[in-house]
Amino acid sequence: MKNQEEILKMQVCECGEKSVAQAIDIFQNTALPFKKAKKLVTECNKSCCRVALVKIYDMSVFGKFDYDEIAYVIKQRVERLKRLGEEQEDV
Amino acid sequence: MYDYEWDRLKTWLDQYGAIESSVTTPEEITRLDLSGHSLKEIPESFGILVNLLALNLSHNRLSTLPESLKNLSHLSNLDMRRNRFEKLPNLLLNTSLRSLNVSGNALADISILGQCKELRVLDVSSNSLKEVGAVFERDNELRTLNLSSNFLKDIGALLCVLGNLQRLNVSANFISELPESVSNLLSLEEIEMSDNRLEKIDEAFFELDVENVNLTANNLTSLHLHGLDSLEVLTLDENVLEELTMSDDFAPYLRELSCESCGLKEFILPPSTALENLCYASNEISSVPDALQRYTKLVHLDIEGNNIVDLPDTLANLLHLNTLYIGGNPLNEHAKKVIAILDPEICDLNMKSGITIENAKEEDLKEMAELLGILFAIESDFEIDFDKQYAGLKQLYYNKGSDLLVARHENKVVGMLTMQRLISSAEGSFIGQLEDLVVKEEYRVMGVGSRLVNKMRALAYEYGYKRIQLAADINNDNALKFYTRRGLKRTHLSIYHFHL
Repeated sequence: MKNQEEILKMQVCECGEKSVAQAIDIFQNTALPFKKAKKLVTECNKSCCRVALVKIYDMSVFGKFDYDEIAYVIKQRVERLKRLGEEQEDV
Repeated sequence: MYDYEWDRLKTWLDQYGAIESSVTTPEEITRLDLSGHSLKEIPESFGILVNLLALNLSHNRLSTLPESLKNLSHLSNLDMRRNRFEKLPNLLLNTSLRSLNVSGNALADISILGQCKELRVLDVSSNSLKEVGAVFERDNELRTLNLSSNFLKDIGALLCVLGNLQRLNVSANFISELPESVSNLLSLEEIEMSDNRLEKIDEAFFELDVENVNLTANNLTSLHLHGLDSLEVLTLDENVLEELTMSDDFAPYLRELSCESCGLKEFILPPSTALENLCYASNEISSVPDALQRYTKLVHLDIEGNNIVDLPDTLANLLHLNTLYIGGNPLNEHAKKVIAILDPEICDLNMKSGITIENAKEEDLKEMAELLGILFAIESDFEIDFDKQYAGLKQLYYNKGSDLLVARHENKVVGMLTMQRLISSAEGSFIGQLEDLVVKEEYRVMGVGSRLVNKMRALAYEYGYKRIQLAADINNDNALKFYTRRGLKRTHLSIYHFHL
């Protein structure tokens, strides 16, 4: 299991190349609604990291971070991308 | 008679703080929270808790449950999310479960749940399911079903037996079609299908009484919207819609429509005049139609990131419009005049960027004392006196257990908030007393106050405070609404002063 520091360094968005720590910092420094704030992190209109970013955004608003949960949803996304890759190979 | 089994179980439960010390018999226990203890197993004697109704075992490391759990015939609510189950225990069949959460395990097969006939709420999200077609029979009682973040490709057979279902979440799967069997979802109110590969939606879908539909991030290229008489919210973001049309009979009560990043070249306006929230952000739209004025109830309009140059004068007739996002468009002077007349409370064009929330520095204290003058001008209980306010802030600054935050823009303090540590006998611990929240007039309605409160709340969590609290002037309506919107609850207490 990763510790808090390792989780903060994890990459949450590949498009914007942002870490969890950077995403938290961006969300804490904006009052924009999620859809707008998300673009500050991703710098794109894609949705690949939305699930993880929604969690981080909600935690930022709430003021308390569950780092295990953040690591879990990032891992989930990686699993999904891996599975998507396998599916495409099958095709 | 001494009950050895109960005594051991009570000791075990005690170490996790799961029961009150006043509990003397296993029959008294109806609810247990054993979440987040990294448990690898549950004592076999658990089955003596025969009156247990709700059991939370989430966020542990469990992969099995003790066989004796089958004795818990009253158990109706079981939370097993974020554990390590690869297989659902058969003993679940003996319970009368109404709500089951097994999200975040490693389940590839949930077929035994078909025999849990009383299940109403089921969350199987974030597992390894590839197939769920034959799990449930027609006589099921399911009302809420969450199958998101699995590996499902086909839900056709499943939909045939969900006649009572009200809420369905199948987001983040690999579903490419919403088939004809969707017509069986006669009670459906909400469907969440974002992040799939949806290319085709059967005509039967448009006959449903569904109220909330989310189809974000699919592969829809052509959509003819019609019917859906009860629809109130529709989200179509991130579909490359080469063709989008709406019939006159489409969703007469639609309140929210979002088509962000759909590659659209023009506005497609829905017939519903009840529309309150409309989003066509990040498309390729170049003109705003005059007809937009007919949405007199519109509160939020988001058309940022298009190619819009001009705006019709009639847009100024949208009297209820509160929020307008229109940045990222090559607007001309006329369009800017229309926005000025419209004067929405929140507009991204008026927002200032680069405002930071920071810990106050000593050199900020004078600016902060001046800011307090703005606050005390509203609060009739206090007098504006720069020297007193400066002296007070200086004491706070050097006081251990105090936090002073400022909002800074272009090297000027434009907002502030303070917190002092108090001891609460009610909480038996430290709490935080918030005071002096003030934002300069020209920086209001930009979320600066929210950011100050959020940051201070994060600090309070970090310090382990049990509560944050504040006093607000009962005549300061804006402040009262602001705090309520941010989740602070009004108490029955009043504040009394006695000057010394």
